[in-house]
Order: sequence, then C-alpha cells, then structure tokens
Amino acid sequence: MSWIREGELNLIEKLSANILKAGPMPKHVAFIMDGNRRYARKRQVERQEGHTQGFDKLAETLRWCLNLSIHEVTVYAFSIENFKRSKDEVDGLMELAKQKFIRLLEEQDNLEKHGVCIRVLGDLTLLPLDLQQHIARAVVATRTHNKCFLNVCFAYTSRHEIANAVGEMAWGVEQGLIKSSDVSEALLSRCLYSSNSPNPDLLIRTSGEVRLSDFLLWQTSHSCLVFQSVLWPEYSFWNLCDAILQYQLNHRPLQKARDQHREGQALQQHEADRACLADLLQHHGNGKPLDAQRRREALLNYTASREERVQDFLGALQALVRSGTDVGRLGLS
Amino acid sequence: MVHVYEFMWRVLHVLLHIHRTFITLFRIRLRNWNGQLWSRALAALLVPIALSFPKQKKLVPAPGKRVGRRYRWGADGKSLEKLPDHIGLLIAEEEPRYTDIANLVVWCMAVGISYISVYDNHGVFRRNNSRLMEEILKQQQELLGLEGSKQHSVEFLSNGTDKQDHQVLSCQSVVKVLSPDDGKLRIVQAAQELCRAVEQMEKTAKDINVTVLDSLLRESKTTPDPDLVLKFGPVESTLGFLPWHIRLTEFISLPSHVDVSYEDLFSALQHYASCEQRLGK
Repeated sequence: MSWIREGELNLIEKLSANILKAGPMPKHVAFIMDGNRRYARKRQVERQEGHTQGFDKLAETLRWCLNLSIHEVTVYAFSIENFKRSKDEVDGLMELAKQKFIRLLEEQDNLEKHGVCIRVLGDLTLLPLDLQQHIARAVVATRTHNKCFLNVCFAYTSRHEIANAVGEMAWGVEQGLIKSSDVSEALLSRCLYSSNSPNPDLLIRTSGEVRLSDFLLWQTSHSCLVFQSVLWPEYSFWNLCDAILQYQLNHRPLQKARDQHREGQALQQHEADRACLADLLQHHGNGKPLDAQRRREALLNYTASREERVQDFLGALQALVRSGTDVGRLGLS
Repeated sequence: MVHVYEFMWRVLHVLLHIHRTFITLFRIRLRNWNGQLWSRALAALLVPIALSFPKQKKLVPAPGKRVGRRYRWGADGKSLEKLPDHIGLLIAEEEPRYTDIANLVVWCMAVGISYISVYDNHGVFRRNNSRLMEEILKQQQELLGLEGSKQHSVEFLSNGTDKQDHQVLSCQSVVKVLSPDDGKLRIVQAAQELCRAVEQMEKTAKDINVTVLDSLLRESKTTPDPDLVLKFGPVESTLGFLPWHIRLTEFISLPSHVDVSYEDLFSALQHYASCEQRLGK
C-alpha cells in the first residue's frame, strides 16, 4: 500500500520495540516533516525529488508507528504559509498530493483491511478544486474505519484553525443554538478541525529547527516536544525510538501538569456556571434568595441544560460540515 | 517474555536517570571550578543530544567592576546578528529561585532585549508578582549599579492595566509576569467577547478571522510575539505558555535556572542568532 509501507521490523528493531512498549507509549504522535528541500540540496537532486522521498519516508514511518502500536498520527504536510513559495514548487506539491490521493482511492481494499481512517485538516477551499474532490472522496471512503487514524494537515495553520473554531461558535450563537456564556475551553476544542482526535502525546520536528511554525498550538500545550536534527527523508526507526524514550522520560510530569490543568478548567467552568445562574436568577427570579439545597439543584439544572445546548449545537455543526464535505467537494450540488 | 521486556525497560530507564543525575552533578561541580571552557568541553562529551548546544565560541568573563560588566553586556547584545525583541523565560521547575530569575531578567535588559516575560505553569509568579518585582529591582541595583539602573529602566506590566500603546524607549525594558491563565483562558475570553458582540448584533460570525482574534489577544499594538523562549527544567513541553503567540517562537532548553550564569544565557542568545526563519517560503 503506497501510504503505509508493507513490512515488518527486523529482530533487533522488534526487540527494542518490545522493550519500549513495556513503558508508557504515546497513543497519538504528531510530526512536522521538515528538511525535504535541504535533503534535496544535500543529495544534489531536484526539490520535487526531496518531497517525493519525504512522502516515502512518511509511509515508512506510519509502518513503524503501527508496529509500535501507535494508532493515531498527525502530519504537517502543507502550511498556508507555504503558498508563498514559488509557483513551480507549490504546483509540484499539489500534483504530488493529487497523485497520492488518487493512489489511495485505488487501494481501498487495503485501507479497509488495515482499518485506516484518513482525515484532512485545514482550509481546503484554498486548494485546487480537483484536489479538493480527491481529498473528499478519500475522507468519505475511509470515514468508518477505526483501527488507525492518519490526520493530514493540508492548507493548515493553527491560528486559522482556532479562528475558524471561534467563528463556528459565533455561528452557533447567531443561530440561537448556544449562548456566548456557553463558550469554554472544552467547547472550543470540540470545534477545532482536530475535534475527533485526542491531543497529541508527542510532537516531533525534524531538521533541527526548534519552533512550532503554527502547528497544533492549542492541542500541544501539554505534549512532549522533541526536536531532532535529522532531516525528514533520512528519518530512521531509531530516531523514532529516541523520541518515544523522551516521551517516556517526560510522561509523569506531563501527566501531572495535564491533570492540574484539567482540574483548573473544571473549576473555572463551575465558577462560570454559578455566575451565569446568579445572573439568570437576578433577571428572571422572583427576588427571593434560594436556600443552599435549591441553589445546588438550580446549578445542576443549569449545567445540564448548558450541556444539552452544547450537544445540539455540535450535532448541527457536524451535519453542516459533513454536508459541506460530501456535497461541495464531491461536486454533487 | 513480557516480564523480561519490562525488566529491560526498567534497566534502560535507570541508566538514563543515572546519566541525567551524573550530568547535573557534574555541571554543579564544574561550575564551582574556574575552568569554564574546560567544563563546557567535558559537558559536551556527556550531555545527550536533547540537551546539547552546538559548539559556540565562549566569551571569557572579564573580571571586575559593574560598569565593565554592564558595558560588556550591552556590547554583547550589539555583537549578535539578531536579538529577540521579546524573550520568554519559561520556568518548568518545581522550586523557583527568585534571585536567579531576577538575574536573568536584568541580564536580558542589559543585553538590550525590550520585552521580557516570565512564566511558570502553576501561576506562582503571578501570585508572588510583587516579590518577583522587588527581587528584579534589587538585582538591577546589584548588577547594573545606580547609574546603570537609571539608564536601563524597567516597566512592569501587570494584568489588566493596559491596552494602551507605550513607546518603548531605547534602554527601557518591559517585564511581564505570565501564568497559564494568559494562554488558553485568554483565548476563550476573547472568543466569548466576540460571541457577545454577535449576540448583540454588533458583529456577524463571518467577521471573525485571524486578524480580529489576534488584535484582541495582543497585549498592545506594539508588543511583539515572543521570538525566543528559554525553557528551564527537564520537562520538554511548553506547559501552556501563550499558545496563540508562539507560532514562530524558537525554543531553547536550558537544564536549570538555579545558579544559571550569564554565559548560559548568552550562549542561548548566540544559538538564537544563528536560527534561520523561512516563514513558509
């Protein structure tokens, strides 16, 4: 299968994998696959060849992830900022992507066998229409698979994703589905392109750069960040093991930090609900203060009704997004 | 068989921990010697890839007076190809040492960095804001002297006081203390503000884009995003530091802020000066 290299690990690799798996393993790994062009310069080949080799390396890395029981991978394939590159390079990348997605659709049986679900995250309206259609077909074809997940960020930046999520919540408010006071960290997370995935446990960037370049800024706030100097097309199984080792060394303190953050979030939500309830009672109550028991009940009712509102809003949003994917992108309208 | 692997995993991690502890002890030991260059060379042999710096030319510390040091720090700043406009000091360690942090802030000021943010992921600095400010002023006197303190003035920003634009004069630095509430929570608050505007029909959902959100999240029109974040401590994560603002920030890790030296800071700045940002191109 072109997107996931066939093959098994050799004996030493298998041994190392088994040792690593005795400890905590990341369930979701994100990659910033940097260094294709530098690799091409180094090997004195065309840039396009560097990108093609980069894709092959992705296929190999996905195979290693499956061998290591890592079932969700997110990759940064193309940033909105990359549109600034020369027309030739951008066209070359779009053509490469188109070919890969066409190949993907030809291998549907294999995808079904491996249970691969492909999602593409980003502002796909910025892409050429034919590419959009191929992407839509691939996403729809693999939608129900659930053994492993590959999220490809294409025409993506984190700021666009966050602004888009805020826009969607604002749409919900416009439609009267939610109130502005329902906006919370949890709700924002569920409006992101990545809402169907848990946050990445591990983020790996290759080629020695030590920045995030507008990738998953919201989702990786408590992820383990590993910056490796190897160029992406030269990435090896041992580089991956090294990154996972770093993850294991950081596992406990990050878990603690995440738990603390979650507790803080729950507290903030609770306080926000109380404030909203107090506001409501002031405006719509009969002026009599409630006793502790009544107040508790009222708070529980308020929280339940808020959660119901939010669920309805998310349902409506899903339906809208889905119809946009199927109808718009497949050209079925 | 599973038990064998578990055992080998434990052995592996024990070895890694020993390695780490050895490096930390070695660092502390060697710092007490005067052979700085020698200690760097030895440490470079032992420090694993994740913690190492590329080999940089180290400046031998000039002995002596505050005035000499102050001018040297200023000259160091000018000698770098690029200096961050806004530096973030991310303390990912459990026990913060205020004096060391104050030293870092003062050195950043002396080198010529205009905006300095200090962050920890428990909100300890925010709660002890005044203590940190006092310590910074004290170290400013200590390290820069009276004259230097007059020349390099510092402005402390606390939360909620300003959306005004202030002109940062040369030799003036702005210090801000940050906590996790300035990160995701601030983004959520901006989102709520925009949704309220939609509720009150002042805006529509289609008006919301990156620029609109960015202007709400910007401290002021003149405050730049952090160019560089120095992370102190063994935890490899941003720990909730300003998610919106760090899209192009370079991250450099240093082992600890405890007993950190000016040379540690300067070599990190040298490393930053050699980073090339292509901005997507």
